[in-house]
Amino acid sequence: MQHSGPWHFDPFVVPFTIGVVWLFGAVLWKWSRWFVGLPAEDKALVRRNWFSAKSLKALKEVVMECLIHRRIWKTNPMLGFMHMSLALGWFLLIVVGKLETSTYIHDAVNPPHVHVFFRYFFPEEPASYVRNFNYALLMDCLLIFVLCGVGLAWIKRIRSRMMGMRRTTRHTPFDRIALTSLWLIFPLRYLAESVTCGVHDSGSFFTGGTGDLLAAAMPGGVLAAMEYPAWWAYSIALGVFFVSMPYSRYMHIFTEVPLIFLRAYRVKSRPEGSTFDQFQIQACSRCGICLDPCPIASELDINNIQAAYFLRDRRYGHLTTRVADTCLMCGRCTEACPVGIDQGTLRLSSRVAFAKEGSLYNAPRYEFLGTTEDRSEGNGQVGFFAGCMTQLTPSILRAMERIFAAAGVDVWWADRNGGVCCGRPMRLSGNLPAAERMERFNTEQFRRHGITTLVTGCPICYKSFTEEYKELKAMGIRVLHHTQYIAELIAGGRLKTSVLQASYAYHDPCELRGIHSEPRYVLSHVATLTNASGNGEKDGVHCCGGSLANLTLDTAAQTKIGTTVVESLLNTGAETIVTSCPQCKKSLQRVSPDNDGRSVRVADIAEVVAEAV
Amino acid sequence: MAQERILVIGGGVAGMQAAAALREAGFAPLILERSAGMGGHVAQWDRLFPTQTQAQAVMAELSSAAQGIESVTGCEITSLTSDASGVTALSADGRRFEARATVVATGFDLFDARLKEEYGYGMYENVITSAELERMFREGRVTMRSGEAPRRVAILHCVGSRDEKVGQNHCSKVCCITGIKQAIELTEAVPGVEVTNFYMDLRAFGNGYEELYRRSQVEHGVTYIRGRISEAGETQDKRIQLKVEDTLVGRPLRMTVDMLVLLVGMQAPGCCAAFGLPRQDNGFFAPRDPYTGTVLSPVRGVYLAGTATGPKTIAESLNEATAVAARIKQDLAK
Repeated sequence: MQHSGPWHFDPFVVPFTIGVVWLFGAVLWKWSRWFVGLPAEDKALVRRNWFSAKSLKALKEVVMECLIHRRIWKTNPMLGFMHMSLALGWFLLIVVGKLETSTYIHDAVNPPHVHVFFRYFFPEEPASYVRNFNYALLMDCLLIFVLCGVGLAWIKRIRSRMMGMRRTTRHTPFDRIALTSLWLIFPLRYLAESVTCGVHDSGSFFTGGTGDLLAAAMPGGVLAAMEYPAWWAYSIALGVFFVSMPYSRYMHIFTEVPLIFLRAYRVKSRPEGSTFDQFQIQACSRCGICLDPCPIASELDINNIQAAYFLRDRRYGHLTTRVADTCLMCGRCTEACPVGIDQGTLRLSSRVAFAKEGSLYNAPRYEFLGTTEDRSEGNGQVGFFAGCMTQLTPSILRAMERIFAAAGVDVWWADRNGGVCCGRPMRLSGNLPAAERMERFNTEQFRRHGITTLVTGCPICYKSFTEEYKELKAMGIRVLHHTQYIAELIAGGRLKTSVLQASYAYHDPCELRGIHSEPRYVLSHVATLTNASGNGEKDGVHCCGGSLANLTLDTAAQTKIGTTVVESLLNTGAETIVTSCPQCKKSLQRVSPDNDGRSVRVADIAEVVAEAV
Repeated sequence: MAQERILVIGGGVAGMQAAAALREAGFAPLILERSAGMGGHVAQWDRLFPTQTQAQAVMAELSSAAQGIESVTGCEITSLTSDASGVTALSADGRRFEARATVVATGFDLFDARLKEEYGYGMYENVITSAELERMFREGRVTMRSGEAPRRVAILHCVGSRDEKVGQNHCSKVCCITGIKQAIELTEAVPGVEVTNFYMDLRAFGNGYEELYRRSQVEHGVTYIRGRISEAGETQDKRIQLKVEDTLVGRPLRMTVDMLVLLVGMQAPGCCAAFGLPRQDNGFFAPRDPYTGTVLSPVRGVYLAGTATGPKTIAESLNEATAVAARIKQDLAK
C-alpha cells in the first residue's frame, strides 16, 4: 500500500491515537496534581537530589523493577518471567519498532502510529531492509516473547498455583475491561501482521510463516478481505486499553517510575498523609503477591482487607473503617511487595483520616501529663523503659533487673514506679495528637536525666522510639531493644552466663523485624536453639495474633493466628518458646497446642538469660 | 443375676454421690480417681458458702454413703470409647476398664493464675489464690509469707473467668459468693483486718447469697469496689501495690495491701479434649440437651454429672449425681 505524505494516515489508527492522547493527558494531569500537592519539605528534597547519583540509582531501579521485575523473579521465577515478558517485551517492541521506522522514514514527522502499525504501512521489506539489519526477525522474536507472557497470564488466571500463588486478586470492572483488551492486543497484532504478510508474501519466520500458512489454507480473496478489519481490531484493542489504563490497575505501569525516583530522594509517606500517597497507591498493580503472606487471609479466611484491597478501596474512595482497622501491621505484605509500597504508613494515614472525623481527635486529652510528677528512679547513663506491656509481665522486668545487676550497669529506671505510655497504641488507632503528647512527656524525661542509651523491654516502644520520636537522635540517645543490649553485654564480656540444659524455639516479634541475628546469638549462647536457621517460610516473621495494630479481630481470631505460630515453633522440637515481646508472650501463652486447656510455655529472652546468669 | 458394672470417672463429690446412688439402684459402680484420695476440690475446702458449714461435714456424709464402693485411685483415664455392648476406659498407665455405662464426673481444674502475669502470682510472695487461702483457713493461720498477720487484704474476682484475654469467656458462677464468704472469714480469722473485694459484677444468685453479701458489709465491714485490678507490683517490704480503676466513681486508684487473693475460676480439664466427646464453647462437656438431658452425653452409654459440664455449686452437682443414677437405671432397663 502506498501512503503519501509524512503522516501515513489511515482511519483505522484513530482509536489508537485517541487512546494515546487520552492516556498521556490523564497521566500527566494526575502526576502534576500530585507533584504540586507535595509538602514543601518533600519538594525541597526533590530539588536538592535531582542532580545527584540518587537519580542514576533510581534509573537503574526503574530498569530492574519496572522492566525486568527482579523482585517478582525472587518470589517465583515463572511469575517473574510473565511480568518481564509483558513489560520488557512490550517496551522493546516500542523501542525497536521506533528504530525500525526511523531507518526507513527519513521524514521529520514520524508519529507513533507508524511504528505500531508498521507492517500495514510497509507490508513488504525494501531490499535494503535485510542488508542493513534484520528488523523483521527481531520484531518477530519480541512478539513471541510478549505472547509468552500473555499465555502465562491466561494460565495464571486458571491455575495460579503453578506460579506459587494460592490467591489472586478479585478485579474491579475497569480492571476487567483493561485486562481483556490487554490480553487481546498482542494476539490481534500477531493476527494482523500475519494476514498482511500472507497477502504480500513477506515477513520473517513467525508472522511470515503464519502468513504463508494462512495463505495456503484460505482462498486469496478471503485473506485480503481480512487484512483491513484485523488492523482495525488491533487498533481498537490498543485504544480501549489506553483509555481505561489510567483508571485501572495498569496505572501502575507509569506510576511506579516517579515513585522510584521520589523514594530515591527520600520522600516518605507520613501519618498525616500527603499527595505522595497517591504515587504509592496508584503504583499498586494488584498483582496479588501480598495476599498469600497475610495471616488474616491464611488463618482467618478474611479476604478483603489485604494491601491490594486496602489500596484499591482507598484509591477509588470507598475505604471503610473496617478494612482500614483490620490489619496486624505485621509487615509481611510490605516485605513481599515487589513495588515496595509502604502500606503500613498508608494504612496509618487512613486511620488518622478516620480518627479526625471523630470528636476526640483534637479534644484536650492527657492534659494532666503537663503536671505529672517524675516517678523515675536511679542514676545512670543507661535508661530502661519497660513500657506498659512489660509492666504487665513483671517477670521480664525482674529478669532485666537481674541482668543489669550482674553486668554492673547503673540504670535509670524510667517507669518502674509507673510511667507514661510511649504513645504507639494511640498512634496506631490514628490519634496522633494524643500520641504526640505522650512523646513530649517521655522525651522531656529522657532529656532531664541525660541518658545516652535507652534500652526498652518492649518492641512496641522500640518501634516508637526509633521511628516516631523525632528528637532522640539529635539528643544523642541510642535506642536498643533489650535483645540487642543483652547481645552487646555478652559479646563485650560484661555478662557471664552458664549454659542451660533446655531447647528453645525463638519467635520473632513483628516490631523487631530486621533484628534477626541478636536474639539468635544470645539464645545459642545460653541454650539450644531449635530454629536458628529459620522456620522454612520465606518471611520468618509471623504475627502472634496479638498485635496492637489490630482494632477489630476478637480474641478467638487472634488466638487462631497464634496457634499457627505455636504449632510451627513446637514442631522444631523445642520445649519452650522464647520471644522478646511481652505482647507476643501473652498472646502465644493463651494458645493451647493440644486444645486441652493446657497452655504452652513461653518465656522472654531476658528471663532465659537471667536464669543463665 | 450378676450386678452390672458402671464406671464412675472422677471421685469428687459428684462421683461419690453418683456411685452411692448407683449402688442403691442395684448396680456395681467402680470409681476411677486421678488423684490419691477421694473428695476432689471439696475435700480441700474449709467451710462452704453460704452457711459456713464445714466441708468435712459434707465429705463425711458422702464418704459414709459411698462406704465400701470399689474404687481405684491414682488412675487417670485418658481415653473413653463406647459401642453397642458398653464402654471402655483406658488409663494413662495402660489399665483397661469395661462396663455397661459410665458416669463422667471429671469436674474442673482451677485456672492457672500465673497466666495473668500482671498480678504477679508465683512471683510476689503475698499474692495467693482462693484455694490457698482456704488451706490457710483449714490450718487456722492466715498470715503473710513473713508470718505476720495481714492488716489489709484485697480479693480480686474473676481471675480466669469472663476474661477473653486468657480464653476463659465463661462465668465460673461460684467465685462471687466464695469471695464474700472468704472476706467474712478473713475478718473472723484476723481481727481488725480490712478486706476489699474488687469485682466486675457481683452475682449473688443463690439462696442466701444476697443476704450474706449484705451481712459482709453491715456486720463485717467488707468493702466492695467495682473495677478489675489492672496490675499489681511488689513493694520493697513485699507488700502488693495495686492499680485499679474504681469504675463507679470513674477514677484511677492506687492501693497498697499486705495480701492479694485471686479468686481463680473453673476451667475445663484436659480430659474434656481427650475423651473425644462433644464440648461446649467453654471447653466443658456438652450435655445432650441443656434442659431435659443435662446428665446425658450425646454418646450412648456415657453420662455426665457435676462440673464436668460447667461450673456448678456442690448442691447442684449432688443433684445431678442422683439424677444420673436414676437415668441409667431407666435406660438400662429397656
